[in-house]
Amino acid sequence: MIGAVFLETLKTTWKQMVYWGIGLSAMGLLVVIMVPLFNMQDMQKLLASFPPVILAMIGVGQDLEIFATNEGFVAIGFFGKSALIFAVYPVVMGMRITANDEDKGTMDVLLSLPVERARVVIERFLAYGVSCIGVVILIYLGLHIGVLLGGVELDVLRLAEVTFYLIPLMVFIMAATMLVAVFVRRRTVALGIVTAFVIVSYMLQTIGLAAEGTVAEPIGAVSFLTYYNAGDILAQGFIWPHIAGFVILSGVLLLASLYRYERRDIGL
Amino acid sequence: MASESVLEISGLSKTYGAGKKQTLALNRLDLSVHRGEIFGYLGPNGAGKTTTIRLLLDLIRPSSGSARIFGLDTRADSVEIHRRIGFLPGELSLWEGRTGEQIIHYVASVRGDTRGIAKHAGELAEQLDLDTSKRVRDLSSGNKRKLGLVIAMMHSPELLILDEPTGGLDPLVQQTFHDMMDDYRAKGRTVFLSSHVLSEVQAICDRVGILRDGELKAVESVEKITNVEFNWVDVTFRDAVPAGLQRQLESLPTITNISTNGTRVRMRMVGDFDPLLRAISSGYVEMLHVEEPSLEEIFLAFYSGDEEKTK
Repeated sequence: MIGAVFLETLKTTWKQMVYWGIGLSAMGLLVVIMVPLFNMQDMQKLLASFPPVILAMIGVGQDLEIFATNEGFVAIGFFGKSALIFAVYPVVMGMRITANDEDKGTMDVLLSLPVERARVVIERFLAYGVSCIGVVILIYLGLHIGVLLGGVELDVLRLAEVTFYLIPLMVFIMAATMLVAVFVRRRTVALGIVTAFVIVSYMLQTIGLAAEGTVAEPIGAVSFLTYYNAGDILAQGFIWPHIAGFVILSGVLLLASLYRYERRDIGL
Repeated sequence: MASESVLEISGLSKTYGAGKKQTLALNRLDLSVHRGEIFGYLGPNGAGKTTTIRLLLDLIRPSSGSARIFGLDTRADSVEIHRRIGFLPGELSLWEGRTGEQIIHYVASVRGDTRGIAKHAGELAEQLDLDTSKRVRDLSSGNKRKLGLVIAMMHSPELLILDEPTGGLDPLVQQTFHDMMDDYRAKGRTVFLSSHVLSEVQAICDRVGILRDGELKAVESVEKITNVEFNWVDVTFRDAVPAGLQRQLESLPTITNISTNGTRVRMRMVGDFDPLLRAISSGYVEMLHVEEPSLEEIFLAFYSGDEEKTK
């Protein structure tokens, strides 16, 4: 039956989705209710005193004005700092699409049923994509509750844009993880490669931001994290070319995964 | 339609790895299994049984050759074939956090019929005395195996492919399993069963294929395999081995390979027990132990017999 794998995946994932969502939203809520404790003008002066490399590590370039706002504070305190944390959930989900079941041997049982390999991959990809959306919705709810509880003046629409921009980012990371797992087969090796990919991307983004205005700046363009910059989103709203880039790349990674998975042996 | 082939394998080979690490797991296998028979696929561990089964299920791809089930190609028509077969893997892994009922429901929903299949699954679980309300992680290995059997059989498949089906099952459940297989055969369904346990194959199979080092050495009826069967017999006497017993045993044509160790005599025996029992009755027998030959020994005996016949 079409959708059976999708539904089962959702059934076995919703608890993790809720736990991750609650954890991340609690972090966001905490940052939001701390906003009134800070004077944003002092904050700007403080940021200006930091060396560029430190600012780059928390996702801040030379556009300090945008961070001297309540929204900017949340962007630095939550979205900038937590970029690597947001990558963990989609990596975990990406590993579940094929690698975990192949490692355990449960994929043999599933693929002995009347279901194509491609259908398993697509339905799981969609289900874990939905769970990423669920996590992001919970994060937004946490931020919104923080706004209401703390009586904080925040542009809720801008906050929503920064939050929901996470969806294409997380789906892209999940698709990249799935592709690596499909190619290298072994769960532990795949996990190592994906972790290295995320950390190297983070370092390249940091170098790019720290070297703004120099010849080294284009290095940052290589990192996918550069295309999720909370400051830029606060200033410009949804940056559709970047979103389209994430969506297209995710689609390409999915197609490459399907191509490879269809042709190789299972579980060896 | 007894000779109608359900499964036809032609020149099927599988090589793992590349370069110096390349291993030939299956070498140009040709095999045919007929509708309504229980076919035993017998071989020692590492002979290529599981590789064959995984190739039939399209979990791995052949290096050369092809296989057809119900006349359909196992690669091109795998989904249609999977609709009509049931499979129990040798090393069964199920979703640990789910209950038996949840897994049955999941598998049934992938098969597209939750109600009918689940009902039959309930009957099978009852027959096997399986509690499906428990999580897989709380089940013993034997009960996991029972759940695997339920999943493989709950949609009444035309062909059952079972890899070492009774491993971990207690003798009572093994007997229930044998009865289920008899019932299957009576309904005209087909079973392809791999095993390295000769007695299991003897108990339920019609024909046997013997696989060794990736090559099919023989396909014979169970009776023919049984004819070359022998047993190792150990007799332990309370006091001493009776005088003249060695000579008496050597004179029996059904007994060979006699060795004595203290009060214990070990021998290789074919045929009836009566001549042996008469011979050892002169002493006080403390223990009599009969040991089934290993598959390798059966295999060697079978072929040495064949060679003698051809001389």
